[in-house]
Amino acid sequence: MNRRLGCPALVIAAGLVLAGCGGASSSSSAKPELKVTGAYMPAPPTSDLAAGFFTVSNSGGADTLTSVTSGLAGDVTLHSTKDGAMEEEKSFAVPVDGRLDFASGGNHLMFEKLTHKPKQGEKVSVQLHFAKSGTVTVEMPVESPTYNPKTGH
Amino acid sequence: MHKKTLAAAALLAVAAFTLSACGSGDNGDKPVAVVSAEPGSDKAATVLDQPFEKPDLVLTDTHGKKYDLRAQTKGKPTLVYFGYTHCPDVCPLTMNNLAVAKKEVEKDKQLTQAQKDSLRIVFVTTDPERDTPSALGAWLKGIDPDVIGLTGDFATVQAGARTLGISIEPPKKEKDGKIVSYHGTQVIAFSPKSDAGYLVYGEDATVDDYTKDFPKIIKGENP
Repeated sequence: MNRRLGCPALVIAAGLVLAGCGGASSSSSAKPELKVTGAYMPAPPTSDLAAGFFTVSNSGGADTLTSVTSGLAGDVTLHSTKDGAMEEEKSFAVPVDGRLDFASGGNHLMFEKLTHKPKQGEKVSVQLHFAKSGTVTVEMPVESPTYNPKTGH
Repeated sequence: MHKKTLAAAALLAVAAFTLSACGSGDNGDKPVAVVSAEPGSDKAATVLDQPFEKPDLVLTDTHGKKYDLRAQTKGKPTLVYFGYTHCPDVCPLTMNNLAVAKKEVEKDKQLTQAQKDSLRIVFVTTDPERDTPSALGAWLKGIDPDVIGLTGDFATVQAGARTLGISIEPPKKEKDGKIVSYHGTQVIAFSPKSDAGYLVYGEDATVDDYTKDFPKIIKGENP
């Protein structure tokens, strides 16, 4: 049994509970209990570049999002927006009993070298790689270019 | 209805607030999109007490032709946004919001076709090195080919943006190879009556906000 991973190589759809095996504990040495929700990609204007958003909720110990990969893109990078400046980051902390938000205007994934231009209605398979929880695959729906998660359209 | 009006100095404060509020940093549980909303106002637009003069920008459009912003948008309701195509998030979102709202306004039976046709949406690149006329054209084709895309000398673009209280920097590569970009995300609406920039929108303005306001902007009225 692999205690570190809890649920190895989980393949889940966005919105489903991740790592639901094992009781939650919130000390920093505890196993992270991650849940990825609200994933979406706004349909991009060209096949050059696309963004991706999601929320990681953690009801366990700390973890780190170390990289992201996808069959859609030759290159996926992680970016933050701080004081109006867009900047690439190497990793993002998933706090103990907290959240990591990738939301428009703030943190975002940047997909480059796309195999094709993703269209609304498509699903893009995206692998989130965490230091402790391993790889989580999210089926990221492609939404309209003006999609607003607050209103859902 | 409560109308929110601000003096220019206060506007700069709002702009600075919007920018500094963009980054959630490590505090990931702050809803980023909400922070630039104006408290106490249900309106997306900030009406300026002291409107901006339209910047004297003579640049190159997506067809490679000279485009004189003042001359060619004179007497026309015009929305101006500064951004760049190598921007995955806020730039395409803002431009798509404007483009979709413009299509919605096409259905408005209260407006004449001439009024609808008068609306100009202008995208000025802050990354002219990469955003050539053809690169801009390809990007805007994926959003709305009617949008006027302008490129040219960076210093000219920056000076024009500055007169509208919008700070921009060229994307720059840091020592470790990371590219850092910085640009203010406001949309400025210019009145067809005065040609002055009288409304400011933040990046949280939605399709619905613009759809509601465009008929007013087309007539040079306050939303």
